[in-house]
Amino acid sequence: MEDKRSILISVLVVIAFACVPFVLDVDKSYFVFFLFLSFCYVTITQAWNLVGGYTGQISLGQHAFFGLGAYTTAIIWLRDITKTGYFFDPVTMILSGLVPVVLAIIVGIPLLHRLKGDYFAIGTLGVGEIIKVLFVKGGSFTGASDGLHLPSTVFESMKPYYWTGLFLAIFSTVVVYFLIRSRIGLALRAIREDETSAASHGVHVLKYKVFAFAVGAFLTGLAGSLYAYYLFHINPDAVLKLNWTLYPVLMCVIGGTGRIMGPVIGAFFMNGVFFLTDIYFVEINPIMAGLLIIIVMRFMPGGLIGLKDMIMSRK
Amino acid sequence: MWEYITFGLIVQLFVNGILFGTMYGIAAIGLSLVFGTMRIIFLAQGTMIIFMAYICYWIFTLMGIDPYLSLVIIVPLSLLLGIGLYHILFREAAGLEDKNISLLIAVGLMFLMENLITVIWTANPRFIETSYTSFAFRPMGINISVTRLNGLIMALLSTAGVLLFLKKTMIGMAVRAASEDMISATLVGISPHRVNAVAFAIGIGLAGVAGVGLATIYPFDPYYGFIFALKAIISLAIGGIGSVVGALLGGILLGLIESLASFFFSGGWSDAISFAVFLIVLMFKPEGLFVRSINKA
Amino acid sequence: MENHLLEVKGIDVLYGDVQAVWDVSIHVEEEKIVALVGANGAGKTTLLKTISGITPAKKGEILFQGNSIAKLKPQEVVDIGISHVPEGRRLFSSLTVLENLKLGAYPSRARPLMANSLERAFSLFPLLKNRKDQKAGSLSGGEQQMLAIGRALMAHPVLLMLDEPSLGLSPIFVRTIFELISTLNAQKITILLVEQNINQALKIAHQAYVLKTGKIAMNGSGDELLADPEVQRAYIGKRWSKS
Repeated sequence: MEDKRSILISVLVVIAFACVPFVLDVDKSYFVFFLFLSFCYVTITQAWNLVGGYTGQISLGQHAFFGLGAYTTAIIWLRDITKTGYFFDPVTMILSGLVPVVLAIIVGIPLLHRLKGDYFAIGTLGVGEIIKVLFVKGGSFTGASDGLHLPSTVFESMKPYYWTGLFLAIFSTVVVYFLIRSRIGLALRAIREDETSAASHGVHVLKYKVFAFAVGAFLTGLAGSLYAYYLFHINPDAVLKLNWTLYPVLMCVIGGTGRIMGPVIGAFFMNGVFFLTDIYFVEINPIMAGLLIIIVMRFMPGGLIGLKDMIMSRK
Repeated sequence: MWEYITFGLIVQLFVNGILFGTMYGIAAIGLSLVFGTMRIIFLAQGTMIIFMAYICYWIFTLMGIDPYLSLVIIVPLSLLLGIGLYHILFREAAGLEDKNISLLIAVGLMFLMENLITVIWTANPRFIETSYTSFAFRPMGINISVTRLNGLIMALLSTAGVLLFLKKTMIGMAVRAASEDMISATLVGISPHRVNAVAFAIGIGLAGVAGVGLATIYPFDPYYGFIFALKAIISLAIGGIGSVVGALLGGILLGLIESLASFFFSGGWSDAISFAVFLIVLMFKPEGLFVRSINKA
Repeated sequence: MENHLLEVKGIDVLYGDVQAVWDVSIHVEEEKIVALVGANGAGKTTLLKTISGITPAKKGEILFQGNSIAKLKPQEVVDIGISHVPEGRRLFSSLTVLENLKLGAYPSRARPLMANSLERAFSLFPLLKNRKDQKAGSLSGGEQQMLAIGRALMAHPVLLMLDEPSLGLSPIFVRTIFELISTLNAQKITILLVEQNINQALKIAHQAYVLKTGKIAMNGSGDELLADPEVQRAYIGKRWSKS
């Protein structure tokens, strides 16, 4: 990524993606829908990559942030709280990122302070499940298990979704890219390698961990907001399901953890597998995902991006 | 609602909770053993239990073999399955520094099994109905269902079996030693693969027992496995990782909490309350409630 | 050449990108005490870990009784008769003293001899017999070191590698440990000893190597090195000025 050629290629790929709606019929093409969903996955996977990959804190509570982002958008829209409009309103979307940040800070400080490794992972899983129950039991404010219905009549074309999705995928990748190359990133990686030694070198471990956790929550919340605009019907089963945690973890690891392009490769690859098996092997589709995770982890523990390194080092 | 609460009712809730909690308990013992040697939370444990419940269901409906009798087939089968799974899936990953790889293989296995079960048996809930399923003892007006009581007995017997194995056999001691310090264990001649495979086999073996217990008590479907695994993890955290008896007690306590919570609050809250208890334990007593001495390095 | 029990030839050991041992060669003769001495971080512990298979060498050869053992895993190294008592003892502290000892006889070669081995361990360390049902973690530092050595002896090693056995022990226990090493050697067990107590180690060693930043800086008999002005000045003079 450092060299100019990689940047040039990235820019060209982005431009090509941006032009897709001019070439394909966005509202009919299955491929465009595939890309849109992949962009969403890239966003949440990049968020997880920052927390789990670069900082080494395995969070299994990302679905809480995703759902919170989705619900924030839905609630603001339904009650017109911000008075700034609603459909793809930047203020609404940013707020949908910030509400998860508040949760991330509130639960992150105690959890990241007291729990490490697997304990942190299951702790966040617990938080996610509690948040889910709170929304199911939220009465008329959250619409309980039926959720909230947004006025789907405003839907005109898939185009704005596509571009917003592309923007979020690029935005999250760029944010993580620059964060990692900054002094903050250095601290985060030091924490992942050896927390005690990082602390002894003057790194305020908790502060940085919470920061990474919060940035991850922000990016995940943004994706949740976009997804809410796409779904129009927000309910706990749709936006707070555990897949919103499991998918980014899988995609990140399959692509390559702690690598900037890992989430991009992983998200496109896994989503591609989901789509293809959905079309060609409908009966065994669900089996494929599990099988694939096992195969990749069993034979390529470094993820797909590690494949390149493996070939290089064999020479 | 408060005027309906009698002493007998409270006792009934306790009995129900304790009886069902033992199922969480043996699932948690399996998790504890696998965590001990391999340092991963085996997330597929619940799905393996459900898988074994389906096998039990199959043996019952196809061959007409009584579910408790089928333990004779299911336990050896699940022990072998455990050894096979370890060597096929986890052997390589177990030696790696990065434990997330093993964890993710477990997640992949969970997905795979969940969907395999759905393909084979459909997602409809199943239940084993025998002639004695609805039979219950009624000492002092308290309802003790015979299948739940059997579940308790199976749990206690298998816990005792595991304890004896860990204390009295050389390989059992080796599993305990490796759980404490794998490097030191290899220095006395213990092969990591050997103890990992044994811990795994016992873990899946216990899943077999729990599967039979569950199949006779509760209707089950393929997706119940993951929830069950979460409950087992909570039990483990409550009881303290590394303690067999602690894991069983943790499961029983969780069963109690759930039984009381789903009565006093509505059903949906009981999961949130379980998780809240879990978080509180993790935060304030991460070594678990039932662990007396801490000698972790 | 023939009576070299262990031969380490030109090994390099790396931890990630950091090289800890550079082209080190040593040989250990049968039924002798060989000491590895040097400052902290000189690579002594790494060398033992490499021999016992915990940290494989990047380059070089290790021969034991003439056979290459560089590719063996730790549990296989124990099987062929090399026992390693690691730094910090690393007992199974939640297991009892007896269980720790029994696990010492885990290799299939040693298992049939367990009853006799236990008897030998208890006669060597009567203290442990009284505490056999106590958790290993509850023992004092000196008792733990004895248990660690006792556990290693249960495997009937030909070569016993001891990493800093006297570290953190009271002077009485330090003396006991060094006496024990000589006793074991008299029972035809070859000893490879890593020690920071250089003076004592050189006194009992037949042969010794001085390691400096991962390389062999000097070697010779224990007495030669003890008399060497360089060794005196760099390793002994400061800390052991009294003796």
